Amino acid sequence: MESFYATKLDEFAKGKISRRALLETLTVAATTTAATTTAGAAGAPDPALKVALINHISYNCPDFRKAADWYSKVFNLEQVGATKIDVALPFGKKGEKPFGVTANDVPLTSLIIRSRDLNAPPQGGAAPRRKSQALVEHMGYTVADFDRERAKVELKSLGVENVRDGGLYSLHMTDPFGYDVQISGVANNALSDGA
Amino acid sequence: MEKFIDRLIRDFESGRLGRREFCQMLGIATAIYAAGGPEANAAPAGRGFKGLGVNHVSYLCPDYTKARDFYSSTFGMQVVNDKGKGRANLAFGPAPDKGGNFLVVHNPGANPPKTSEAVIDHVCYTISNWDEGKVRAALKAKGFNAPTGRDGSLHVYDPFDYDVQIGNAVQENAFRRGA
Repeated sequence: MESFYATKLDEFAKGKISRRALLETLTVAATTTAATTTAGAAGAPDPALKVALINHISYNCPDFRKAADWYSKVFNLEQVGATKIDVALPFGKKGEKPFGVTANDVPLTSLIIRSRDLNAPPQGGAAPRRKSQALVEHMGYTVADFDRERAKVELKSLGVENVRDGGLYSLHMTDPFGYDVQISGVANNALSDGA
Repeated sequence: MEKFIDRLIRDFESGRLGRREFCQMLGIATAIYAAGGPEANAAPAGRGFKGLGVNHVSYLCPDYTKARDFYSSTFGMQVVNDKGKGRANLAFGPAPDKGGNFLVVHNPGANPPKTSEAVIDHVCYTISNWDEGKVRAALKAKGFNAPTGRDGSLHVYDPFDYDVQIGNAVQENAFRRGA
């Protein structure tokens, strides 16, 4: 399908079709292809350890309620299953599928926001938690209808701090605990990032 | 969709977007549209953004090649954009240009990472078609003789002792917490 887009784009660039015609052709092609893609994507076999999607991100901070409220506010996420030390924020409503996924056994990705002592002595004879040499130094989240300039205005109105550009297609910001958060649209992906 | 394509064309006309990027982005948008429909991807009517999910995890480690090899050989992630310059993308889930997640494994840069009171202490990945026996056997074959956790939700450490969790939709599902 991408070669079709390229052909149409070339025709437009050479003046063979109008801007209006390009827009209409691509819109029809994209929305028609969508149905075909959905129908054909199901049922691919997976090896035993092949990961399908991120299930959850375990975010630990001094005050999980404060962090959860911030993430709920910025990303419009519900808070479910709260305990005394944590709460889950799924990216979607109950019963929805994660975007891009057709399998029925892949749940929505969630943020699990916690306040727990990671250095607490293990219980039940378990081995102590290892000290990692690696670090997840920022998280990138995909949002709908991302427009960098509009997003800046929105973030400012929400009181989000340290908003700054992250290339053409994303913004970085700081959450209430100084953690680096990036947002983008679908344009930021494994192919475009670092290309 | 039409509005989005209109914006893409505008970016192409102004030179902000190249031909290749234009086609890639339209391909991605098509996939996203297919996955959720226009109403699912629309921005919320109120304030803030409609969070669709994780885009990527930025994983900093002493040697990105070790992390790259581990995650690709153990969990089937696809290596993308590895130019031998200290970083690589590891794509999984839906195809990279169709809304999938990716792990960016990278070496330390010139500047130290920003300090934060928060930490991502582990990342959990869903495995579709989970088969307990096959999952445990596959882990054992990779040298993980004693993963911790429970059936349907297991933890191992990666080469840099980062906690990695894998789970299925029954054991690891936000809407089943406390059930």
